[in-house]
Amino acid sequence: MGKNQEDMEYLTFALTKGRLAEKTLEALSKAGLDCREVLDGSSRKLIFTQEENKYRFFLAKGPDVPTYVEQGAADIGVSGRDIIMEENRSIYEVLDLGIGKCRMCVAGFPEAGELLKHHEMIRVATKYPRIARDYFHDKKHQTVDIIKLNGSIELAPIVGLSDVIVDIVETGSTLRENGLVVLEEICFLSARMVVNPVSMRMKAARIRKVIRLLQGVLGK
Amino acid sequence: MENRLLHTPEGVRDIYGDEMLKKRFLMEKLESLVSSFGFREIETPTFEYFDVFNREIGTTPSKEVYKFFDSENNTLALRPDLTPGVARAAVKYFMEEGLPIRLYYLGHSFSNRSGLQGKLKEVTELGVEYMGEASVYADAEIVDLAVELLKMAGLKEFQICIGTAEYYKGLCAAAGLKRDAERMLSHHIRNKNLFGTAELIKEMGLDSRIGDALSSLPMLFGEVDILDKALGLIEGIDRPVAAIERLKKLYEILKIYGIEDYVTFDLGLLSRHQYYSGMVLRAYTFGTGEAIIRGGRYDHLLESFGKAGPAVGFTVVIDQLMNILTRQSIPIDMQLNRVLLCFEEEYFAKALTEASKLRSSGAQVEMMKIDRGMDPYAIRKHAIEVNAEKLLRLTGDGLETQLLTQ
Repeated sequence: MGKNQEDMEYLTFALTKGRLAEKTLEALSKAGLDCREVLDGSSRKLIFTQEENKYRFFLAKGPDVPTYVEQGAADIGVSGRDIIMEENRSIYEVLDLGIGKCRMCVAGFPEAGELLKHHEMIRVATKYPRIARDYFHDKKHQTVDIIKLNGSIELAPIVGLSDVIVDIVETGSTLRENGLVVLEEICFLSARMVVNPVSMRMKAARIRKVIRLLQGVLGK
Repeated sequence: MENRLLHTPEGVRDIYGDEMLKKRFLMEKLESLVSSFGFREIETPTFEYFDVFNREIGTTPSKEVYKFFDSENNTLALRPDLTPGVARAAVKYFMEEGLPIRLYYLGHSFSNRSGLQGKLKEVTELGVEYMGEASVYADAEIVDLAVELLKMAGLKEFQICIGTAEYYKGLCAAAGLKRDAERMLSHHIRNKNLFGTAELIKEMGLDSRIGDALSSLPMLFGEVDILDKALGLIEGIDRPVAAIERLKKLYEILKIYGIEDYVTFDLGLLSRHQYYSGMVLRAYTFGTGEAIIRGGRYDHLLESFGKAGPAVGFTVVIDQLMNILTRQSIPIDMQLNRVLLCFEEEYFAKALTEASKLRSSGAQVEMMKIDRGMDPYAIRKHAIEVNAEKLLRLTGDGLETQLLTQ
């Protein structure tokens, strides 16, 4: 198979496709892990190898990154904290990359603020059912009916599908344009570097080095 | 035809043929190893009262435990792990004299976790429990057994990672942390979340020395020298100092065993389970994202069944070990001595004599009636399929032997 040997030899990164990958690769390049090839749009390769330092990179859809890392298919992953919280996998969250900063919020029409002050049952639309449930159950002790949606969450209160929403807010302009406001803040979000627990042991020296290099670039 | 009749539910599977042979062979090898250390087998029920696995005792969140009711409406649970059952039994049957006992178990455990995560809901576990012995020598024997077990399975590259629950608990006690705060902090440390840990400690406004010691925990792992590094951080705080001194003693004993090269330390290795009270132990290797051996010292578990007593042990999931062996291309060598004996009808009596002769000499003999003119190739293929090393044919031409190499 030879798979095992490859596993040992390479340090494999799973990155979140899209803007986050670009910013991550920028930080990695600054830290001296040359990996520009990954962003070369003309290539159809799924996995990129940097032979010199034995790094491998691949791009995956956001929610899949923690899965790849948990199962050990990747040693290191970079993914938003929202996804790490929602997926709740057994992985190590070792570094705040400080990019893609935003907030997880409860939002809705201003009148809906009243509904959050009591413990009455409300309907919550969200892409993040676990985060929403943990927040309302454990922090606010409020009973909620959670409706899972896959996009355009802002639509839900407008068409009367839910009372409030739980979603990521970056600038708040989408909310404003639709007459919605942030009612409560749940937590701050940014991109995090996650590590597989086995890799952290078996490849400790190499992973520590990556962390150190990145910390240097991030000025921490 | 309804598909339900053919398929197994998600998370459970059939094991048969070659795979089952290998699994059986591996289990027997490991069992003979733990027996050679004086561990005696114990079998506890597959299901017990749910309370045996409750939050303080069990390792599995309640919602992941399969529960059902008996005719008197007691809540029963399919065991999510075997340690609580063994501890219950040990308190009931063995703890009178106060002498140490060594028990091992081999059985199935069940967890009703959400699907589609590539994880099985029913697995075979082998575990050892060394009860009634509080000394560091018991810890060392358990570490050594873990090393021997992985070597016996054929693994060459693996690491035993050792931590202690006492270091963290001692620091928290010195800082006067409440249980909630302790749990929240342990969550961050467990996930090696450096910045989360630091932030939380700042929020808590802890004494700067204890705060520093706690915030360095996520990265306090590596070779034995981290123990001295830790000692430097906590001078004069008795409980964590005692915990580190014990680990240093443990390391000295492991050197006598000659297994120190397999051992690394990780003081941030905290278990979600409240029951660990001293050494915490994990084994890691390539080809899996999770630890393959988990265990440690849990001196308070027996107490929850009514009688205090020290205990230390570990468990290994056989199915996971099999996966790793496959992924690392490590063969499981089997000597089967299996024979396929084919006969034509009129030579049945002769075939039977031959078969019993072979069986009494230790061979596994499978008999098969054949007709004249049957395709020899098909017979040979079948023989290979059933792992026969020898194909015997009893026909009018006499006994003909064919050796099969696979």
